[in-house]
Amino acid sequence: MGKDTMGERTDPAAKTRREGRLEFDLFDGIRIGRYSEVHAPLHALDARVKLLLGVLLIAGAAASQGISSQLLILCAVTAGFPAARVRLSEGFRPLIPVLPFVFALALLQLFAVPQFRADARVLWEWGLLKISTRGLAAGVLLVTRFTAIVAGMSLLSAITTASDLASGIEHLLRPLQKMGVPAHEFSLVLGISIRFVPVLTEEASRLMKAQASRGADFGYHKTNFVKKMRTMLPLLVPLFLTSLRRAQNLVEAMESRCYTGGKGRTYMRRPKAHPADLFALACAACVVGGAVVLSVFGADARMWRWLGKVL
Amino acid sequence: MTTRTRKIVIAGVMGAVSVFLGATHLGFIPWIAGAALTIMHVPVIIGAVLEGPLVGVVIGLIFGGFSFIQAAIAPTGPADVWFTNPLVSIAPRLLIGPVAWLAYRAFRRWFDAPSFAIAGVAGSLANTALVLGVIEFFTYVKPDNRFTIKLPWQAAGTIAVTNGLPEAVLAALLTFAVVASYKRVKTRRTGSSI
Repeated sequence: MGKDTMGERTDPAAKTRREGRLEFDLFDGIRIGRYSEVHAPLHALDARVKLLLGVLLIAGAAASQGISSQLLILCAVTAGFPAARVRLSEGFRPLIPVLPFVFALALLQLFAVPQFRADARVLWEWGLLKISTRGLAAGVLLVTRFTAIVAGMSLLSAITTASDLASGIEHLLRPLQKMGVPAHEFSLVLGISIRFVPVLTEEASRLMKAQASRGADFGYHKTNFVKKMRTMLPLLVPLFLTSLRRAQNLVEAMESRCYTGGKGRTYMRRPKAHPADLFALACAACVVGGAVVLSVFGADARMWRWLGKVL
Repeated sequence: MTTRTRKIVIAGVMGAVSVFLGATHLGFIPWIAGAALTIMHVPVIIGAVLEGPLVGVVIGLIFGGFSFIQAAIAPTGPADVWFTNPLVSIAPRLLIGPVAWLAYRAFRRWFDAPSFAIAGVAGSLANTALVLGVIEFFTYVKPDNRFTIKLPWQAAGTIAVTNGLPEAVLAALLTFAVVASYKRVKTRRTGSSI
C-alpha cells in the first residue's frame, strides 16, 4: 500500500500544485488575442488600417475559390510576420491544436463532395466511397483557406491592441454617424466589454474561492452532469448578478460625470493616416486582388494540368 | 427607467460576460460523449430581456464576433472550421436577442416569472436552429465547396436534439435565476454579495 505514484504523476490537480499555482488561479493567463509588445513597422500602422487589413484578409480568402489564391494570401501573410517581428513558429502556433480536426474534415471532404461535374477523374473507388480529383482539390482548398485565415488573424492580433480595436472601429464608423449609425455608442460598448473581461476574471476567481470556503467542490474528479450543474450554478448566477450590479454602478458613475452621449464629442488623439498606412493598404489590396484574379481566371485548372504533366 | 447610457453599459457588460465565458472553460458544461453545452448565448438573452431587442443585437454581435475571432486566432475544435465564416458565427447570433425579447414580451401578459424561462428557451433554440441552419444552407447551396464541408442533415438534426434541447433547458434555468433575482435585488440590499 504505497503512495499512488501513477496517480500523482497524471492527476491534474497534483500537477497544478507542483507548479506552484493555486487551483483557483486558472484564469490568470487569459488574454484575448496575441498582442506582442514590440516596436515594429506594422505595429505603428493606423488602427483603422489594421482593421481594414483584417476585413480584406477575410474577404479575400472567402471570395477566392482556387488553391493558388489561398496560397498567395498565405505567402503574403508569411511575409508580414518579419515586418511585425513575430517569429514564424509563434505565428503559426494557433494552428497546432486544430490540425487533427482540419485534416479529419479534409479527409471527409475527399469522400463527401458530390460529383456534379463530369470532368472529375475518379482516382480510387471502393464500393460507395469514391475519391475524385474534385474531392482532393476541395480537401486541399479547405486546409489552405483555413491556414491562411488563421495565420492572417494571428498576425493581425499580434499588431493590434484592444484600444486599437475600439478606436479603429469608432473612427471607421464615424462617417456613417451622419446616417444614423451610432459609431460612438458601439465603440463605447466594445471598450466597456474589453475593460470588463479582466474584472470578471478576478470576480470569478473570488467566487470560486468563496464557494469553496463554503464547501463547494471544484476539484478535478470525474463528475456527471448533475454534479457539474450543482457546482457551476452557484458560480455562474452570482457572476451574472455581480456583473449587473457593476453595470449599475458604472451607469451611475457615468451619469454623475455628465456623460451625454456622442453628440459633439471631440477626441484627444485623432488618428492621422500616414503614407505607410496607405502603402500597407495598397499592398493588401494588390494581394487580395491578385487572389481574386487567380481564382476567376481558373489558375487552378492550369496548375493541375501542369502538375499532371510533371508527375 | 432605462436610459441610453444604461443600455450601452448593460450591452458592454453582458458582452464581456459572454466573451469571458467563451475564453475560459466556464462556458462549456460537459455533457455526454465529450460534447459540451455552451452558455455563451445566455448573456445575450438576459441583456435582451432586461434592456430590449437592440441591446440584444449588440450583445449578439459581440458574442458572434468573439466566436469568430476565437475560431480564427485560437481554434479549439472542429466547429471552429465553420466559425471562421462570419456568416455562420456572427449573423445568426444577431437574432438571438430579438427572438428572446419577443418571447418574453409575448408571455409577460400571462405569467411574470416563467416568461424569463420561456425567453431563455426561445433564445437558445434560435441560436441552435439558426447556426445549424446557416451551416446546412451553405453546404447545400454551394455544393462546389464554399467554406466548409457538407454537414449531413442527419448530423445536424442529431446535434440539434442532443445538444440543443438540453442547452435550451439550461439557458431557461440560468435566465430565470438571474433575471428573477436581479429584479428583486434592485430594491433591497440584503444577504451576502458572493
